Amino acid sequence: MKRSIIGNQAVAYGALAAGIDVAAGYPGTPSSEALNELLHFSRKNNPAPYVEWSVNEKVAFELATGAAWAGKRALATMKMSGANVAADSILSVAYSGTKGGLVLYIADDPGAEAGMPEQDTRLFAQWAGLPVLEPADPARAYELARYAFQLSEACELPVILRSVTSVAHAKQEVEGEYAYTSLKRKADFEKNIFRYTKAGAVICMDQHRDLLERLKTAESSASKAGINSLHKVGGGDLFVVAAGALIPYVREAMSGGNHHGLSTLFLESVFPLDTQLAGEMFEKATRILVLEELEPFVEMQLRSEASRLGWRGTILGKLDELFPRIGKYSQEIMGRGLTLLSQGRKADSPTRDSDSGGEKAAGGPTALQPTEQPGTAAKAAAAPNVKHPITFCAGCPHRGSFMAINRALKKIGLNRDNTVVTGDIGCTILGMNPPFHTCWTEVSMGSSIGLAQGFFWAGVENPVIATIGDSTFFHAGIPPLVNALQHGTNLLVIILDNGWTSMTGFQVNPGTAEQFQAKGARRVEIEGIVRGMGVENLQVIGPFDQEQSVDTIAKALQQQGVKVIICQQECALTAARREERALIYLIDSEKCTFCRSCLRETGCPALYVKANGGKSKHGQVMAIDPELCTGCGLCFTCCKFEAIGRQKVGGSKS
Amino acid sequence: MMQSIFMTGLGGQGIITLANLISGQASDKGLKVTLFNAKGMAQRGGRVTSEIRLSDDPDLAFGARICAGKADILIGMEIGETINSLSYLKEGGAAILLDYAFVPTTMVLKKEPYPSFQQLTELCAQKTDRIFAVSEAGHPYNMFLLGVFSAVAPEIAPTLSFFSKKSVEQAITTKLKRGLEENLETFNGGYAHGRSLLQHV
Repeated sequence: MKRSIIGNQAVAYGALAAGIDVAAGYPGTPSSEALNELLHFSRKNNPAPYVEWSVNEKVAFELATGAAWAGKRALATMKMSGANVAADSILSVAYSGTKGGLVLYIADDPGAEAGMPEQDTRLFAQWAGLPVLEPADPARAYELARYAFQLSEACELPVILRSVTSVAHAKQEVEGEYAYTSLKRKADFEKNIFRYTKAGAVICMDQHRDLLERLKTAESSASKAGINSLHKVGGGDLFVVAAGALIPYVREAMSGGNHHGLSTLFLESVFPLDTQLAGEMFEKATRILVLEELEPFVEMQLRSEASRLGWRGTILGKLDELFPRIGKYSQEIMGRGLTLLSQGRKADSPTRDSDSGGEKAAGGPTALQPTEQPGTAAKAAAAPNVKHPITFCAGCPHRGSFMAINRALKKIGLNRDNTVVTGDIGCTILGMNPPFHTCWTEVSMGSSIGLAQGFFWAGVENPVIATIGDSTFFHAGIPPLVNALQHGTNLLVIILDNGWTSMTGFQVNPGTAEQFQAKGARRVEIEGIVRGMGVENLQVIGPFDQEQSVDTIAKALQQQGVKVIICQQECALTAARREERALIYLIDSEKCTFCRSCLRETGCPALYVKANGGKSKHGQVMAIDPELCTGCGLCFTCCKFEAIGRQKVGGSKS
Repeated sequence: MMQSIFMTGLGGQGIITLANLISGQASDKGLKVTLFNAKGMAQRGGRVTSEIRLSDDPDLAFGARICAGKADILIGMEIGETINSLSYLKEGGAAILLDYAFVPTTMVLKKEPYPSFQQLTELCAQKTDRIFAVSEAGHPYNMFLLGVFSAVAPEIAPTLSFFSKKSVEQAITTKLKRGLEENLETFNGGYAHGRSLLQHV
C-alpha cells in the first residue's frame, strides 16, 4: 500500500515492518516525527511495540540497547546533537556489539535549517566504529530502516541510520506495509561479562578486535544486499559518486540525456566503504567526482582506498577545495561539478571558476560555493533585507519570566548588559532575542547551570542567573545543579516550566501534567526534585503575576547561596488547543499615545500598529489582534496611560 | 514535464495547508509529487517555506528541494519574505504575490522602512513579466490564494491543466474541518480574482 509520508514517518514504518519491540528517543528537529509516529501507532494498535520519549538521548539509547541485548529489535531516535549526549554509551556498546537488531536513527541538518551545528554524524559513526546507512529519499528511508535491523543482526553491531533534513522532512508516496507484526522473540539476555562489561584490559582489547571483525562482516553484508549500485557506461572512465540524499538530484541532473557517458556509483551504505564496488570503479576510472554534503567522508575513504590500490587518477571533491563543506548542495553546484567532470583535464584547477557566471561567493576559496542563499538575488538589486526574528508566541509564559528578570535587575540597580544570564536549549533561548536581550549564552542541553558556576568562580562582578526550560532541566540540568549545591556557589537558577517540550512539537516530558502522561506513566515534579536535592531557597511563581515575579527574583538576587525559582505556567499553544480563552485585552485608541511601551517591553506578536486617521498625534496607535491575544495581560502591565483594558470573550469590556 | 512551486510566508498564514491542498490535488491525479515544508519556526512568527515538485512522468527522477533560479512558480504571502525568496524564481517564471506585510517589532521600534508591495513587484519584474499581483485578498489569505492559483495554474503550464475549481472545492470540503463556508467563499472570491488577473498578465 502507498501513503504520502515524510522521511521520518517512513523510518517509523520501516522499523515497524522489521518487528521492533522497543523504541525510545528524545525530541529534536529534524528527527522528532519518527518517534512521534511510533508513539501514535502504539497508542492506537495492539500488538504494538513499547515506545517512549526518554529523559535524554543517552537514556533512550541505553534503553534500546538493553532490549536488543535481550534479543529483541530496538530503535533509538535523536538529532545529531543528541548523539553527543549518548556518545559515552554508544562507543562502549559498539565494543560489546548487539544480539537483537539495534538501530540508531540520527538526523543531520546540512544548511542548519533547524539552527544547530552542521555536525556530520558519519564521522561520529566512524569514530565509534558503527556501520552507516544513508537513505536517498523517504521511500528508501522505509526500505533502509527495515533493512538496518537485518544488517545489525548479521554483523552483531548497532547500525546508524543517518538522514538529513531534506529527506527527514520531504513528503512523497512511499510503498510500505504500514503494519506491525511482532517477531514474538522471548527476552533472553545471556550472562557474559567478557562481552557486556569492560572489566580489564584484556576484555577491552578483545572487544575492540571483535568490533573490527564485525565491521568487516557489515561491509560484506551490505555489499551482498545490493544497497549500493554501480552503473558503468560502456568503457567510460568518468565516474560520479553520490551519497544518500544527493542521489535523486544527480539522477535529475543526468536525466534527459544530459551528461551521458558518465558512469555512476550511488552509495546508501556509506560506512564501511563498499571496497568491492569501489575496486570495480577504480579499475575503469581515470576521473571521479564525489558528491556528498558536509564533510568529505566518502571522499576520504575513496582517497584512502585509491592510495591502497595504487590508483593514479583524479578525484574531484572537497579536499581540493572544489566543493564546500558548509551548507547543503544546490543542483547548480552538482550540475557544475558534473560539467567539470565531463570537460576533461583542463577544467581540473580548483580555483577555476570560468563558467560560473560570476556567482562565486565573496571571499570564499571554493570554486563551487552554494548560491542557494535566500536573498542573494534581492540583495543584488539593492532590495531591503528583511528578517523576521522568531519570538515568544502570543501568550507565552516565558515572555513574563524574561520581562520579570529584566524588571528585577532594574529594581536592584542592575541591568541585562552588566549581569550575566545564561540561556539554554529550547523555546526559553528566545530570551536572547529582541526585545528582551536577556540571555548571553546558548551551548548545549543543561549547560546554562554549569556555565553560570564558571562565571561565578571567575569572579564576575554581579550575581549570575541561569535560565533553563523544564524538559532541558530533566535532560541535563540536574547534575550541574547538584554540583552548585555541593560547592557552595552563589547562583540563581530560574526554571521556566511550561509543562511541555514545546520547541520540538509539544512532546510529553516527566513534568507534564498527569492527565497527559502515557498509560501507566506518572508525573515527576520539578519542585520535589529540587527540594529533594536540598535546595532550601526555592520559590514557585506564576510569570503572568509580574509584581510577585519581579519581587521574588529581585529578592533572590540579593541573597547568598543556591536559589531556585520555578516559573510555572502552561505553554500557551497547548493550552489553547484544549481551552477557550476566558478574556482578551484591547487598546483604547482614544487613550493610546503611541509611546509603544507595550511593544518595546513585550514584543508580543498580537500587538500591531494601526493607522488612526490623524486623530492621535502620530496618526498611529497600537492595537491588539483579538485572534492572537490569549489574555495573559503582560502588555497591561506596561501601559502608563490606562489605554489597555480587558474584555470577556463573547462578553463586554471591563 | 515537471513543475516546481516555491511558496513563502510567515507562520500562521496557513501556507502549509495551502501547500498540502495543492500537492494533494496533484497526487489525486496520479502525478508524481514531492513536498518539503520548512516550518521549524512557524509558531514563533518565523519564515515558513513550502516546496512542491510534480511531474506527469512517473519515471522522472528528482529530489524534493528546489534550487535557486529553478522555481517555475513562486507564491509569496508576505512582502519581506517574498523578497528574500525571489532568488528561487526562474527567469520568466510565474509569480503570485500577495500585498501583505508583517513588520517585525524591531523595525517598528526603530522606525525602519519596510519594503512596499510596489518594491516587491518591481524587483520581481526584473525576472519576469508574468506577475499576478493580489492586492485586495479576502480572509483567510491562504484560501484566497488557493483560488487565484486554481484559476491561473492551468494557464501557467500544461502540467497543471488538471487543476479544476470543482476538485479543489471538493478537497476543501473533505480536508478542512473548520470554517467550511468562509473557506469556500474566500476560495471562490480568489478564483474569480485569478480569472480577472489572467486578462492582464
